[in-house]
Amino acid sequence: MFCLSELEDTVRVPPSDLNLPLEVAIKKALQKLFLDKVLSIGLCVSIYGIKSIEGGFVLPGDGAATYKVVFRIVVFRPFVGEVIAAKFKESDSNGLRLTLGFFEDVYVPAPLIPTPNRCEPDPYNRNQMRWVWKYGDDEFIIDDSCQQIKFRVENISYPPVPTERAEDAKPFAPMVVTGTIDDDGLGPVSWWEACAPISDDED
Amino acid sequence: MKNIIVKANAGALTNFEVLDLLNSRGASKDTTRVIASETVSRSEYKVYDYLMETAASTQTRESVTKFSDKCKDFKLAKAEILNIINLRPSSDVELTPILEKPDEREIDIEGILALVQELLPPLPTVEAQKENEQEETENDEQS
Repeated sequence: MFCLSELEDTVRVPPSDLNLPLEVAIKKALQKLFLDKVLSIGLCVSIYGIKSIEGGFVLPGDGAATYKVVFRIVVFRPFVGEVIAAKFKESDSNGLRLTLGFFEDVYVPAPLIPTPNRCEPDPYNRNQMRWVWKYGDDEFIIDDSCQQIKFRVENISYPPVPTERAEDAKPFAPMVVTGTIDDDGLGPVSWWEACAPISDDED
Repeated sequence: MKNIIVKANAGALTNFEVLDLLNSRGASKDTTRVIASETVSRSEYKVYDYLMETAASTQTRESVTKFSDKCKDFKLAKAEILNIINLRPSSDVELTPILEKPDEREIDIEGILALVQELLPPLPTVEAQKENEQEETENDEQS
């Protein structure tokens, strides 16, 4: 789910950092610019390394030094078809929302939850809806108690920044991953624990 | 300020490699770390915490390289090998959603699962973490 990307950018090192070794100062400026931000290629997780630094000119009227830097970063960008383990965050009538800790906008829309299912108001939490999967005679609830939920990535989208929003709308998500749990081995891990894993004891 | 993306994909990384990178920067499970660490930021720690709960936390560089070498015998796509290393499936039902059209390609599912069992270390279990916590408290009592 992670990959390396190479970028080239103009970086401004503020005068207060000019006493640090050059690489440290540039890395600090890069971290401030890119860490935890979503680019067109994905969510930037970490600065991997700097390849080259050029310049160091001080522009008139500015106390900071400007450098042209080529560097590599680690981005979180899952590919379509990847299976990822996540935790339950919340659910509503549109579907589920899962979280990875560092990334919280994974949505499983209602059509991608295994059928037959039903959605009912959560008895423990008045604002939420709960999804229940009916398989044969058993009913499986999808909620907080599921330790890990595996989903397969269906799509990644980068919605454009909205110009107007309603007052109570959810905070804007610049990167949204849509997943499915409607297949063998997907969904809460506890659903599949009954299938015996291969163990050495059998020999 | 426009930044130019030279290469959008300069190489895929397994969860293990990212965890290794964070470890080499000084990330650890110590609770005082968030305040003390200057080299690892808070958002990087969230990634670290997530990865420590996955198969990557028990893997080593040798086991991962050996595994991806041996995988070439099984005619798997690179993305599938990456997925298997990240998830460490231990049963048929865990492996099938990763593979694309396994029946048409005649994939040796049993063989792959046996290789996983042999080369990749088992997943970290919640019980193991609890045992570690108990060991730590026992050590404190002793000292």
